[in-house]
Amino acid sequence: MFVSDEDLMIDCKKGDMSAFELLVRRYQDAIINYIHFTISDYHRAEDLAQETFLRVFKNVNRYEPKASFKSWLYTIATNLCRNEIRNRSRRKTYYLEDLVEENEDVYHSEYMVDTRLQPDILYEKKERQQIIKKAIKLLPENQSVALTLVTYQELSYEEISEILDCSVGAVKSLIHRARQNMKDILNKFGIGGSVNEKI
Amino acid sequence: MKKYDSNVCDSISSQLSAYFDKQIPVWKRHLIKRHLDRCPNCASKFNAIQKTDEFLQFVEPIKASDSFLSDVLQQATAVNRTNSVKHGSMKRFGTYVESMQGWLRGKIRAYNPVFMLGFVFGVIIMIGATLYSPPIEKLNPYPQLLINSAEAQQDKIISFEVISQQEPKRRLKNR
Repeated sequence: MFVSDEDLMIDCKKGDMSAFELLVRRYQDAIINYIHFTISDYHRAEDLAQETFLRVFKNVNRYEPKASFKSWLYTIATNLCRNEIRNRSRRKTYYLEDLVEENEDVYHSEYMVDTRLQPDILYEKKERQQIIKKAIKLLPENQSVALTLVTYQELSYEEISEILDCSVGAVKSLIHRARQNMKDILNKFGIGGSVNEKI
Repeated sequence: MKKYDSNVCDSISSQLSAYFDKQIPVWKRHLIKRHLDRCPNCASKFNAIQKTDEFLQFVEPIKASDSFLSDVLQQATAVNRTNSVKHGSMKRFGTYVESMQGWLRGKIRAYNPVFMLGFVFGVIIMIGATLYSPPIEKLNPYPQLLINSAEAQQDKIISFEVISQQEPKRRLKNR
């Protein structure tokens, strides 16, 4: 039987640790992926994902079942990511993943253990991923967050509007502009030859 | 093929992203679909969105490490324990207050007539001392000084006012 996130949160409020465990199991991969996309550092992403779930646990009494748990969780994660980016720019910190071409997150991907893949295909895939991540990073912060949430987390525009604290119309135009910019950036990288028409 | 008004195409192309994400009402989706079937310009824009998204989908999802869940649960349990310790100290303070109340109640009961009388008398005295303000002359050790002082002299000046009664300029004639 499927138990909704909101019901699990109510159980969690009552002190049920197994409900909290189920919530973490449900969202751990999604949150790590989302944070990793935003800050581009796997280990830091795991730390921040842990912090996100801990904040959920600490503030479980403040949660009201009227609000969607998913948006609440992503709002916490987004705020943590923003703080991290701000701190980084203040400290002018560069992470290894930003500088080194060898991206460590490939070790966590499924295709690394897939021995059927040829090295050249593997290299091509890896390169493509690097380009996409770089392109997303080049977008303005709100656009990259909105695009990541809609493309990889499959959130609705309403949920994104709650997370970014803006109207649905603003999210619509934000995503539209993000896609336009993304296409331009990909063209600059020499990809997207087939995506030449202006969106 | 029918050529569309540029305004229509502009409004449609601004909604293509939402159409692609299926975030617009069904009736609007039908309208856009019909437009895309007939307008090659907008259809090519929609294709571009589709291709960009296809390209973005190349990114493989990352999986959480094996220890992630256990780490989170461990930290959550630690938070839970800290909270319970905090509640424990509050509980201890509560029992201390309760025991103090019990001790007081016991004392009052033990010395009932004397204790209560003394307590009430003390309270009345305290209230009286706070509210009663004696006249300054009674507390002044040199009353003569006070009488001769400038302030006392000023108090003695009698002020008066002259009210002049003037006759009215016009009088009513007696009929």
